Amino acid sequence: MAALGLCRAFGALLLSAAPRRARPPVLPPGPPPWLSGPVAAACRGLGGSAPRCTTDPLWKCRVKYTVRPIGMKKTGGRDHTGRIRVRGIGGGHKRRYRMIDFQRLRYEEGAPPEPFTEKVIKVRYDPCRSADIALVAGGNRKRWIVATENMQPGDIIKNSSHIGRMAVSANEGDAYPLGALPVGTLICNLESHPGKGAQYIRAAGTCGVLLRKVNGTAIVQLPSKRHMQVLETCVATVGRVSNVDHNKRVIGKAGRNRWLGKRPHTGLWHRKGGWAGRKIKPLPPMKSYVNLPRVRAAE
Amino acid sequence: MAVAMAAGPVALRRAGAAARGLTRGILTRAGRPRHRGPLPRTPWTTRGPPPEVLARVVERRPVRKQVELDTITCAGRLHHIPGLAWPRFPPWDRGWHDPWHSPGPRYEEMPLYKERGCYICHQGVRMLEGVRQAQWLTKTKLVEGLPLSVQSILDNPAHGLQEHEERVKDAISHARFWDTREVAPKRERFCPVLFEDLIHLCRLMSRKYPALSKRMLARNYRIAATWERESVLLQVRGLNGILMNSMAPIPPVASKEEILATKEHVLETFHPILPTIDLQEVNVYKELNDTGFRDGYPYSHPHTLFFLESAIICPDRFRPEQLRAKMLMFAFGNALAKAKALYGNDPKVLEQPIVVQSIGTDGQLFQFMVFQLNTTDLVSNDGIKNLVWIDSDQKLYETAQCVPKIKKRVVVKPVGIHGFQPDTFKKFLALYLHGTV
Repeated sequence: MAALGLCRAFGALLLSAAPRRARPPVLPPGPPPWLSGPVAAACRGLGGSAPRCTTDPLWKCRVKYTVRPIGMKKTGGRDHTGRIRVRGIGGGHKRRYRMIDFQRLRYEEGAPPEPFTEKVIKVRYDPCRSADIALVAGGNRKRWIVATENMQPGDIIKNSSHIGRMAVSANEGDAYPLGALPVGTLICNLESHPGKGAQYIRAAGTCGVLLRKVNGTAIVQLPSKRHMQVLETCVATVGRVSNVDHNKRVIGKAGRNRWLGKRPHTGLWHRKGGWAGRKIKPLPPMKSYVNLPRVRAAE
Repeated sequence: MAVAMAAGPVALRRAGAAARGLTRGILTRAGRPRHRGPLPRTPWTTRGPPPEVLARVVERRPVRKQVELDTITCAGRLHHIPGLAWPRFPPWDRGWHDPWHSPGPRYEEMPLYKERGCYICHQGVRMLEGVRQAQWLTKTKLVEGLPLSVQSILDNPAHGLQEHEERVKDAISHARFWDTREVAPKRERFCPVLFEDLIHLCRLMSRKYPALSKRMLARNYRIAATWERESVLLQVRGLNGILMNSMAPIPPVASKEEILATKEHVLETFHPILPTIDLQEVNVYKELNDTGFRDGYPYSHPHTLFFLESAIICPDRFRPEQLRAKMLMFAFGNALAKAKALYGNDPKVLEQPIVVQSIGTDGQLFQFMVFQLNTTDLVSNDGIKNLVWIDSDQKLYETAQCVPKIKKRVVVKPVGIHGFQPDTFKKFLALYLHGTV
């Protein structure tokens, strides 16, 4: 359906000097009326801006990557049945979702799987997360990534998958596999399996520490002081995540929490049970995402 | 409290279509059915293991679900029976070609599909690196300021550029204040009105120089120009702006020495960004060179291209740097198409360079550009390059106050045009007169 609109657009490009013929009735400019929402926005092509929000529940299911922000539909904590699944969510400022590429080592189509560099175009606020995001451009494509602490527009950052015998002296913002980094570096945007995409250490100001590297795996300390063992080919970004003073901000008033989309707690007084209060426990055991053979269990 | 009757979905769609102005025979079709249930699994909605691991997991489906092994399915029974596998039904075939439901041909099956991709610059392309990127793509050397021939028209008092100041102020007031019944007209109104008024003022000079009447404005014409640049195929296509054609071409602006001096100039690249970033890559294209006008059209030479940024919302308008890049690309496209029409498709250095001017504005800021096409040999990075003179960010006026600015009951800024600069209109007029005077 979308291809039909695209075919029409390309047909118009090709018929620039063709002799005049009886043409079929022309639709008004813009996508055909039966296309709705994001599909229409995709067909609009030249010069349209993306909507500020959308009523389409499938806004998240876009497969093609784009740098332009996508209108979001707020759930209010409701699930697909319509009942509240998570309390305390609702209202707040409208947000547009910028598709962040958490897989730093994503090669362009047609590009060889070699280390490549990218240039930071701008660093900006993202309403959907506590960290700032950076628009980087390399080759023929642009993408959004989570910015690190001292990232400025104009910086060149490197993404590499090569693990050498010597550890690399990594600059902040570069992405290397854990096996190539020296022990003790501060890292962020860590992935648990190679190629999965970063799922750990993404919040503002957080950083993990690479503790040690042991035969093909690396052990990282997460911001919660928990230890995590992953394969050394997992890629992580060097440095702390941006927006370091995020935890020092003062909300100031109830209204600011409402702008953030948080609804108030119930005011009913509950007697607190055993779950409340400070707990002092030993650290949980190290989490291993490596399928080691049973003979040598993870340390 | 008045209670509005809840209108059904079909009535709502008809009302929407009527509001958009389509009032004859509105065919309402069912839109997308309301999605119920959990979201489909896409890479952006799942947090599972990476696709390779997922594929390995999928193969270990329970044996009951693998239809290839099970020959007894519940297909004939018309309802699910626990213990029998669910059959895999073939996708439903309508039996006839329904144009509103058929997906259309794939790119690979289209007749104009080519393996080699082509990068197209159209009117919606906003270049990341701006003029530097456009310079690399068109093999051009940049010179700041307007060329000497235009400067001489500016400095020559015989052209009478001074008398027009009052008329220009009237034109700005007409566009910005008088053209509406509301407080202030929107940009998509005042930008074209200002352009029309300034063109009218320029045309008044044809009483003094009769050759100026041999000009014609053209809108909504499509340009097509193809060239190759270091093993990358590039095209400029589509609607661009308002073109003023003339019967006689503009004489070359740069001297022979300047043209030969461009041989030493080195085009700047911006590693790690490729110069084709932001251009639309297509595999279905036609290598076409077309000026947009048929042979035998009396006004055959492109003179000036006008770009009006008249979108109301700020993000829809081009930034000045992006506008200058667009002006350069389309001036080059028009010049190249004309060169190929006159001298053929072979790449060569032109004996008679082709000059195309370009003016871009958003109603307040003006960008002036003069482009000279010296060569159609664009494959290599060496050799003679084309030349462009750019005069950027010329304000015609600072502000146009529609309502007086009042602070603490004192009028700080009265109504009217503030910060009027007559030089900008003089440059506009000089570019109009260039080539004839």
